Amino acid sequence: MSLFSPAEGWYYKKVSKDEKMWMLIALVLCISMFVWMIMWHVYGKQNPSSLTYRTSTAEFSKLSEAYIKRNMVGVDNGIPVVRPQPNSEVFVMAEMWRWSPVMILQLDQSYKFHISSKDVMHGLSIQPVNMNFQVFPGYDYVLEFKPTEVGEYKIVCNEFCGIGHHSMIGKIVVIEKEEDLKLYGYENLKKAPDPIPEGNGKQMSEAEMIAGGEQLYTLKGCGSCHKIDGTKELAPAWNGLFGKEEHVIENGKTTTINVDEAYLRESIKEPQLKITVGYEKTPMPRFPLRDDEIDQIIAYIKSLKN
Amino acid sequence: MFRTCDITGFKVDLQSEKLIRYNAVFAVISLLLAAVAAILLVFTRYQPVHLLDAEWYYRLVTFHGLNALIFWIIFFEVAGLYFGSTVILNTRFCSPKLGWLAFILMVLGLLMSNTIILMGKADVMLTSYTPLKAHPLYYLGIILFAVGALLAVALFFGNLMIARREKAYGDTLPLFTYGLMTAAIIAVITLATGALIYIPTFLWSLGLVENIDPAMYKLIWWGLGHSSQQINVAAMVSIWYMVSFLSVGGTSINEKVSRTAFFLYILFICLASAHHLLTDPGVSSAWKVWNTSYAMYLAVLASMIHAFAVPSSFESAQRRWGYNKGLFQWLSKAPWGNPAFSSIILAVIGFGFIGGTTGVIFGMEQTNIIVHNTIAIPGHFKGTVVIGTTLTFMGITYYLIPLIFRRKIVGYKWAQWQPWLFFIGIALLSISMIVLGQLGVPRRHWDSSFSGGPFTHNFNPAVDFFWALMMLGGVIAFLSILIWILIVVFSVSFGPKVNGPQDMQLTVSPLAPEEKKHKGGIEAPGTLVLTFIFLLVFIALFFLNWKWLAATWNVN
Repeated sequence: MSLFSPAEGWYYKKVSKDEKMWMLIALVLCISMFVWMIMWHVYGKQNPSSLTYRTSTAEFSKLSEAYIKRNMVGVDNGIPVVRPQPNSEVFVMAEMWRWSPVMILQLDQSYKFHISSKDVMHGLSIQPVNMNFQVFPGYDYVLEFKPTEVGEYKIVCNEFCGIGHHSMIGKIVVIEKEEDLKLYGYENLKKAPDPIPEGNGKQMSEAEMIAGGEQLYTLKGCGSCHKIDGTKELAPAWNGLFGKEEHVIENGKTTTINVDEAYLRESIKEPQLKITVGYEKTPMPRFPLRDDEIDQIIAYIKSLKN
Repeated sequence: MFRTCDITGFKVDLQSEKLIRYNAVFAVISLLLAAVAAILLVFTRYQPVHLLDAEWYYRLVTFHGLNALIFWIIFFEVAGLYFGSTVILNTRFCSPKLGWLAFILMVLGLLMSNTIILMGKADVMLTSYTPLKAHPLYYLGIILFAVGALLAVALFFGNLMIARREKAYGDTLPLFTYGLMTAAIIAVITLATGALIYIPTFLWSLGLVENIDPAMYKLIWWGLGHSSQQINVAAMVSIWYMVSFLSVGGTSINEKVSRTAFFLYILFICLASAHHLLTDPGVSSAWKVWNTSYAMYLAVLASMIHAFAVPSSFESAQRRWGYNKGLFQWLSKAPWGNPAFSSIILAVIGFGFIGGTTGVIFGMEQTNIIVHNTIAIPGHFKGTVVIGTTLTFMGITYYLIPLIFRRKIVGYKWAQWQPWLFFIGIALLSISMIVLGQLGVPRRHWDSSFSGGPFTHNFNPAVDFFWALMMLGGVIAFLSILIWILIVVFSVSFGPKVNGPQDMQLTVSPLAPEEKKHKGGIEAPGTLVLTFIFLLVFIALFFLNWKWLAATWNVN
């Protein structure tokens, strides 16, 4: 009895037939679900992998950058495009707030995705096919995907990753034949590009510097916040930035500065020193860049006019 | 100091009664905070209105989660634990002073965490997955609240000891208190796990610990996050049995079976935590399959046993009252005008058909791929914790107002409608969210148009319909919560005093008469039919989900 001690002999009361029957059915159901999951590993085609490598954000950034440098065939909205060989390994980087690279995959071919994050947790959600996986910093999750339908797919982020979470969206294109590239505006993609010129003592021309800066912009993911089309939701846009007056906050005080080379260099190296008014909520992380790389990025910013 | 209840005959410790009242009041306050945040969130995700900006959207998601899932439920459960261990057992409260200390700690925790969230220093979601970092006081607030709750659980055990020593309840604990005891044991496990993860995270936020591994954090956090839901389930099911007793004089048709089912919850508590890691790196498939099922999903089995035992307790009692015609006369002649009764029946239906089915299917290793972190997940737990737990708690409050606050219910007609309104609202909300999730819509996401992103994505056009339905459900549920809160507040503050059984608006049923026949035969044919319908729905949803999974890309 719910509110009193149960009646005498409750412990030895026989279980009624219907309750017994129901418990048996429930138990069989529960055991079958366990068996079902194992069977799906044998006969099913969708099973999360068990393969994970320990990595670090720095190490994985290097890997993915090197991978993109080798395989980049173009740029789509500031995000590098790669076209991996079937059965090859693809490095997918999640960061605040972009998925990189954009991938062109071949129908019914397998690709080993290495997925990790540069900062916080993210959620890899391929739409509209609706497959969802968790992405951690420091863990390289290896998932072998085999697309079974052609079309354009998006990678939505479905793990909260900060104020720009909703803008984090990537792209995968699955094609069957070469002509399909046209459907996505990818017909003019080149082959893998020449390596970015290293600043090994040689003086680079202005045009080379700008080209190098543009590649770095794509590679390092500057474009996930800094746009070059004038939109400035998360960070100041780069077009028309150079030479502009900006209000910045330094040590809690608002001052006005002129965006020149010295300011840009300082802002890249120490992003927290002077924060542009209006972007206090989206502080820029520090990117490990060499001095010659910073020169190229500055050259690129200078080249972007309104 | 005791008073003897002139309605039920229980001896009520006045100190305990006061503690029950105060904890219940804070539960209601937390629910109000959660509901106000919820309606703002609904109108933000409903894109044609898109009410809040991104910052406040995420802030209020955090706020809503903490107030609804932690503060409302745990304050109410503490009130319930005190009620079940003193009033029901005719016992005094072991240490009222510590009871107040626990209460003050919990209130401090609530104030601290909520203030920090609203100041914008903890936009990290309820899960606060590292390396997202909140202000140290946010974690400290939760720790204080948890310490208070743990103390309250300890006092519950203290009360049980006194009752046992003073032989206040005969030989065996009443089923209601037994169920609460399992909830309390689970609470100890859960809160200990919470300490294990929140204390290092607190130190990390202070800069004293260098690194909190995100995968380790997620694993242990869910030892708190989902196991605590098992406290709710145990408490909720206990209340189901209690309302069967109060409304129709029913009791479990086999107490040994019901008690065993409660016991299974304790043993297989880890299952629930593991299924949050099904699409994570770091743990293998073998780990996932084993730890979400232990070969036979015994926690699911426990709930399925209750799914028969609870309705059959009503059926058996009703049949003994003479409503014996056909399969379902016991149901058609049930006290539907009793808001506690209708709340409980609707909670059972919602918990089973919406929350239960989806919970089991989403918790299997492979099918989790098509729902992980989509809005189907909150859709699922709207079915379990909102229709199930919250509606149950609302329903039992209709008994607590006259019995513990000693007031008549003001607006009793409204009270009779409120559970239905709430059920319809949350059912619409929950089912819409589940469908939206199956169509790929993410949870905790401010803008489905991906403004500011390099690309955009258009979901299946059907989403528009379900967003509207979700908004509609949210509005209905919100109104129903307001009605409930107004009834509670008005009754408790201005309601006419209850001076005896003649003032009871809800019946307190005498025990159903002894049965004459039925020796191990079929006792609840109507319930059996209902559970078979449930089984069919479950199997249909099961195969539907696996079919959807089979249609996705191959992944290995």
